[in-house]
Amino acid sequence: MTVAVEYYVLLSMAMFCIGLFGVLTRRNALLFLMSVELMLNAANVNLIAFAFYHGNLTGQVFALFTMALAAAEVAVGLGIILVLYRNFRDVDVTVPTTMRW
Amino acid sequence: MADAFAYAPAIAVFPLVAFVVALVFGTYMPKKGAFAGIIATGGSLLLSLWMLVTVAGGEVRHNSEPLYEWTAGSAAAEAGAEGISFSFGLLIDPLSALMLVIVSLVAFLVHVFSLGYMNDEGETGLPRYYASLGLFTFSMLAFVVADNLLMAFMFFELVGLCSYLLIGFWFRTKSAPSAAKKAFLVTRFGDYFFLIGVVAIAATFGTVGFAGEDSFVVAAEAAIDDGATLFGFDAQTWVTITGLLVLGGVLGKSAQFPFHTWLPDAMEGPTTVSALIHAATMVAAGVYLVARMFGYYALSPTALAIIAFVGGFTALFAATMGVVKDDIKQVLAYSTISQYGYMMLGLGVGGYVAGVFHLMNHAFFKALLFLGSGAVIVLMHHEQDMWEMGGLKDKAPVTYYTFLAGALALAGIVPFSGFWSKDEVLFDALIVGLEQPVILAAYAMGLLAVFFTGFYTFRMVFLTFHGEPRTETAEDPHGVGWSIKAPLVVLGVLAAVAGFVNLAPIAHIAGWDIAFLEHWLDGEYGSVEGLTYHAYHETVAFEEGYVGSETITMLLSAGLSLGLALAGAFAAHTLYNVPEPERHATKLGGAYSVLRDNYYQDEYQVWLAEGLTLPLARAADLFDRTVVDGAVDGVSTGSLFGSSWVKRIQTGLVTNYAALLVAGFVALLAALGLYGGWF
Repeated sequence: MTVAVEYYVLLSMAMFCIGLFGVLTRRNALLFLMSVELMLNAANVNLIAFAFYHGNLTGQVFALFTMALAAAEVAVGLGIILVLYRNFRDVDVTVPTTMRW
Repeated sequence: MADAFAYAPAIAVFPLVAFVVALVFGTYMPKKGAFAGIIATGGSLLLSLWMLVTVAGGEVRHNSEPLYEWTAGSAAAEAGAEGISFSFGLLIDPLSALMLVIVSLVAFLVHVFSLGYMNDEGETGLPRYYASLGLFTFSMLAFVVADNLLMAFMFFELVGLCSYLLIGFWFRTKSAPSAAKKAFLVTRFGDYFFLIGVVAIAATFGTVGFAGEDSFVVAAEAAIDDGATLFGFDAQTWVTITGLLVLGGVLGKSAQFPFHTWLPDAMEGPTTVSALIHAATMVAAGVYLVARMFGYYALSPTALAIIAFVGGFTALFAATMGVVKDDIKQVLAYSTISQYGYMMLGLGVGGYVAGVFHLMNHAFFKALLFLGSGAVIVLMHHEQDMWEMGGLKDKAPVTYYTFLAGALALAGIVPFSGFWSKDEVLFDALIVGLEQPVILAAYAMGLLAVFFTGFYTFRMVFLTFHGEPRTETAEDPHGVGWSIKAPLVVLGVLAAVAGFVNLAPIAHIAGWDIAFLEHWLDGEYGSVEGLTYHAYHETVAFEEGYVGSETITMLLSAGLSLGLALAGAFAAHTLYNVPEPERHATKLGGAYSVLRDNYYQDEYQVWLAEGLTLPLARAADLFDRTVVDGAVDGVSTGSLFGSSWVKRIQTGLVTNYAALLVAGFVALLAALGLYGGWF
C-alpha cells in the first residue's frame, strides 16, 4: 500500500512549521539549532517523497546533500554557540545584539 | 650673433638670482644685498643692450623652442582646449628689446640710488627690500619678453605681488600696509577681467601666442575676414569684448580711471620703489601690454576708441588733482596717472610709435623726478610737504638741475624729451579726432591737461627749489652722496636728449630722415612679421583728417600744446615763483575741496563697497544660508529622520530577522498568488 504524496507534503509542512515556530520563539541557541535542523529535515521529507512519486533518484541524492550540509552547519553553529557562551556566559540569542549598524 | 638669444633668459634670471641671494644671505652681506642687485641689474642692462644691438642687426627671436612647456597640446585636436599648448617662451623684437633696456636701466639706477636712499639712511629690513626689488625687476623683465598671453598674465600678477611687498615695506606703520592692500586689491580687480579675457582668447582662437602664424592676432584677423561668428557674436564684436576684458588688467595696473585710486596711496612705499613702479615696471606694464597686443586692438576700432577716451579723460582728470597736492610725491603720483593717460590716448588713436615713444621718455623723466624727489626728501630729512621746503636751488645744484630737466620734460617744453612724445601723441589724436568726434573729445581733454601739467610741474619746482627757505631744515639741508647724484645725472641727460630719437615734426618739415624710433618700431632693422608699425597702421582703419595740410596741422598741434604748457608754467611762475608763496589753491573754494579730495573717488568707491556690494553680499549670503543650505540640510535632515525610524528594524536579534524573512516570504507568496490567479 502506498501512501499518497499529499500526506508527505502535510507531514513536511507540519515539521517545517514546528521548526519555524521554534526559530521564531526560542531564545536558547541550542534549541534554535535544533529547530533549524527540523526545517531542513522537513525539506528532506519533501525531496524524498517527490523522488519516490516521480520514480527517479535525483531528489534522494539531494536529500543526502542536504544532510551533509546540515552536518556541516551544525559544526559551524555549535562553534558559534561556543563562542557565544564564552563571550556572554549565556546561550540566549537575544543577549548578543552588538552586531547591528 | 644669432646665439645672443641663448643668453636672453639670463636677462630676467639675473635679478631672480639677486632676489634669492638677497633673501638668503642679505643680512650677512655688505650693504645688505644691494650689490647683488646692482650687479644683477647691471648684467641685465648689458645683456639688454646686446639684445638691442642684435635686433638692430636684423635678428629677432620668436616661435623658437619654448623654454618650458606645460602642456604640449594634442596634435590630433587642431583647435579647442585640447589643442592649446601653454609654454614659457621668449619674444624679442624691437619693442621688447627697447623695453628691456628701459626696464633694466631704470632698475639698475634705482638699485644704485637705493644705496644712498635706503642704506645711508639706516633703514632696517634692507635684505627684504633688495629681495623684493630683485623679484620686481625679474617679473617685469620676464613680462616684457613673454611670447604669449598666459605667460604675460602670470608675470603681470607677479608684478602686482611685488608692488604689494614694496609698497607695504614699512609695514609697522598703519598707512603702508593699507596702501599695499589697496594697490593689490584694486589691480587684482582689474586682473580678474584680464584673466577672463585670457581664457576667452584661448578658448576662441586656440592659441595665446603674441606673434607669428599661429598667434591669436592672426587668428582673429582671419576670423574677421571670414565673417565668422564666435560665441554668438560676429568676430569683430567678440574681438572688442575680449580686448576690453584684457584692458581691465591694463586699466588696473596702469592706474587709469576708474582704477587709479591705488596709485597715490602707493606713495607710502620708499621713493625708490615709486620710481621703479612708475617709470619702468608695474604702471608701465599695462601700457606695454596694450602695445604688445596692439595688433589685436587694432582690429577693433571700438576698443581703440575706448582706450583713447579713457586715456584722454584720465590725463585731464589726474592732472587737475595734481594741481592742489602739497606732498611732492603725491604731485608726481597724479602726474604718473596723467602721463599714462597720454600713452593710452596715443595707442588708442593708432599712434603706436607715439605711445611707445612717450612710454620710453616717461620712463626716463619720471624715474628722474621720483629719484629727484627722493633726493629732496633726503635733503629735507624726510619731509615731503612742499610748503616746508623752498630755496633748495642753491644748496643742491645737482638735484635742482636734474630735477628741472625732468620737470621740463614732463611739462613738455621744447626741446626736452617729453615735448616730442607728448606732441606726437596729441598730433596723432588730432588727425584722427578731426574725423571722429569721440576721439576729438579725448584729444581736447589731453590738450587741456597739458596746461595743468605745466602748472603743477612748475608749481612743484618753484615751491621746492625757489623762493626763500620756509623751514630750518630747508635752510640747512642734509647732503647727498654720489650714489644719489650719479643716477640723477644719467637720467637728467636722458630726459633732456631722449626725445631726439624721434623728431618726427622736424623730420617731416625739413625732410630729414631722423625719426629713428619710427624706423626702429617699423622693423627696418629687424622685426617679427606683423608686429611692425606699418602692419598696425594698415589694420587700424581710422580716417585721418588735416587742417589745411599735414604740416600745418602738425605745427598747429605742436604750437597749441607748447603754448599751453608754457602758459601753465608761466601761471605757476606768477603765482609761486615768489620769495613767500601763498596757498592760492584755497581760493578756489568748493572746487579746491573737490580736487583735494580727489573728486571723492575713494569715498564713492567705499560707498560702492559698503552701500551696494555689502548689502548685496548679505542678501546673497542670506539666500545661500536659507535656500541653498536649507535645501541641502533639508535633504540630510529628512534622510536622518527617516533612517532613525528604519534603523529600528535592525535589532541584532536573529529571531527578528527570521520573522521578517518569513513575513516577507508569506507576503511574496500572497502577492504571487493574487497576481497568479490562485484565489
